[in-house]
Amino acid sequence: MSMNRRQVLKAGGALAAATALPDMASAQATFAPAPGAWRNFQTVTRLEIAKHVGQVQAWIPLPAFSAEDWFKPAGSTWTTNATTAEIKRDAKYNAEMLHVVWGADEKAPVVEVTSKFATRDRAVDLSKPGNVAALSAADHKLYTSATELIPVDGIVKETSDKITAGATSDLDKARRIYEWVVDNTFRNAKTRGCGVGDVAAMLKSGNLNGKCADLNALYVGLARAAGIPARDVYGLRVAPSKFGYKSLGAGSEVVTKAQHCRAEVYLSGFGWVPVDPADVRKVVLEEPPANLALDDAKVVAARKALFGAWEMNWLAYNVAHDIALPGAKGPKVEFLMYPQSETAAERLDCLDPDNFKYVITAREATA
Amino acid sequence: MDLSSAPAGRGISLNWLLGGWLGLLALLVALPVHSPAASERQLQAAPTDAKPNFILPSLDGPSYDLRQQAGRVVLVHFFATWCEPCRDELASLSSLAGMPGIDPPLILAINVAEVPGRVRRFLEGAAVDFPVLLDSDRAATRAWGVYALPTTFVLDRSLAPRLMVEGDLDWTKEDVIAALRRVAELASP
Repeated sequence: MSMNRRQVLKAGGALAAATALPDMASAQATFAPAPGAWRNFQTVTRLEIAKHVGQVQAWIPLPAFSAEDWFKPAGSTWTTNATTAEIKRDAKYNAEMLHVVWGADEKAPVVEVTSKFATRDRAVDLSKPGNVAALSAADHKLYTSATELIPVDGIVKETSDKITAGATSDLDKARRIYEWVVDNTFRNAKTRGCGVGDVAAMLKSGNLNGKCADLNALYVGLARAAGIPARDVYGLRVAPSKFGYKSLGAGSEVVTKAQHCRAEVYLSGFGWVPVDPADVRKVVLEEPPANLALDDAKVVAARKALFGAWEMNWLAYNVAHDIALPGAKGPKVEFLMYPQSETAAERLDCLDPDNFKYVITAREATA
Repeated sequence: MDLSSAPAGRGISLNWLLGGWLGLLALLVALPVHSPAASERQLQAAPTDAKPNFILPSLDGPSYDLRQQAGRVVLVHFFATWCEPCRDELASLSSLAGMPGIDPPLILAINVAEVPGRVRRFLEGAAVDFPVLLDSDRAATRAWGVYALPTTFVLDRSLAPRLMVEGDLDWTKEDVIAALRRVAELASP
């Protein structure tokens, strides 16, 4: 939402060029996630409140998203000096969190949450539809509806219509939107956290930069506006990329700042299809030696794979938007990917390392 | 100004232009916007639709009810800590408050949907001596049709929006001061 105006729609020439490149360059870089062995991980989130007056609450997202073929949560345990600690779920999206409450007399509130899960890479063969069950009517409605920051009418609908004009299938539309987001956005290293995801603001200002919560929310909004179910999946990188992409993996066991959200689009016959245009832009900006061109082999390989596949060195928390934190006085959160906390006076800054400390570590379980 | 290419909400109403010498003011201050620097950006005529009232809490003080500010020129300034030019513009607005030769407008800076602690840290050392309000759920921001930050509206003494600018502005420029002075002379409630 700053004033660096960019032309919002680019001509189809760039799209054609980009989509023609992958085969040519794939021999020079490999990024090809495919279902294989399941991997077991454990994360530990330790949260402390350094300064507070009165009662304190915290909400810690739990990796409870479940997908039979690529993500299996295995539960969470915790230790804390809190008065109460309970698992809560939001009613709309079933997002799971640990809600912790400390009394005013607790001088050093602390909670440590251990979560376990199993995951494996996922890839959808988009060459031919299978026999995937149709999305329920309720889910179709949920995942084509607007959220607080993702309207599906107005400029979002207008932009989506321009991008998808002439497309003959939802697959074609979904791919065009993906290519458009890759071509027309860029990752901004100065964006705090993962961004906000104010899609209408991005399009109205013409400033299409940000991080994953911005760029992938833009994908979701444009797909929903085209009538195609889509959703953000909020999570955390937990391991390096086995394809050697430094920008697409955790650099160490400490993953406190490794939050990353991805996107899924539901295509008839294929089911939920993983996409991640924001990670293509991350490769462009950050993959050594950095500031790569769109036709760099590493970018081309990632771009080809990230419409239809995810490397699962990442955990999934939830797909929720506009979450009213149970017991909170403050406003809804746009998404629940970071631990949240609130004193009797106000919501704390989840990105403030001085007053609201948390450390997240991730480790792969060995056999 | 190429009105056909102006984004929604930024064009000049024909009725307003025909409305008298204020229309001339609009022509004098309205110029095309192509990502200019703060020193080059200009105030534009504000859309004539009335803006809804707001009552918002301030960062560390009382709530502010816009309706109760009638009687003086009011600058309603929307900003966020992640907005790169916002810090410089807050400094410029602070300078405006102390400019000689002008009855200082009331500046209401509205932070868009950020937690108080983040705003406080942003303002440390910024010498901001005007109210900073918190629109924690974006209700006022949306109601005012603000989609780009920073955005500032200049309201006359009856709280009617007269001028606006999307993007940062050097509020100490002579032409800006002159435009504010003319708005101050416009109407009394």
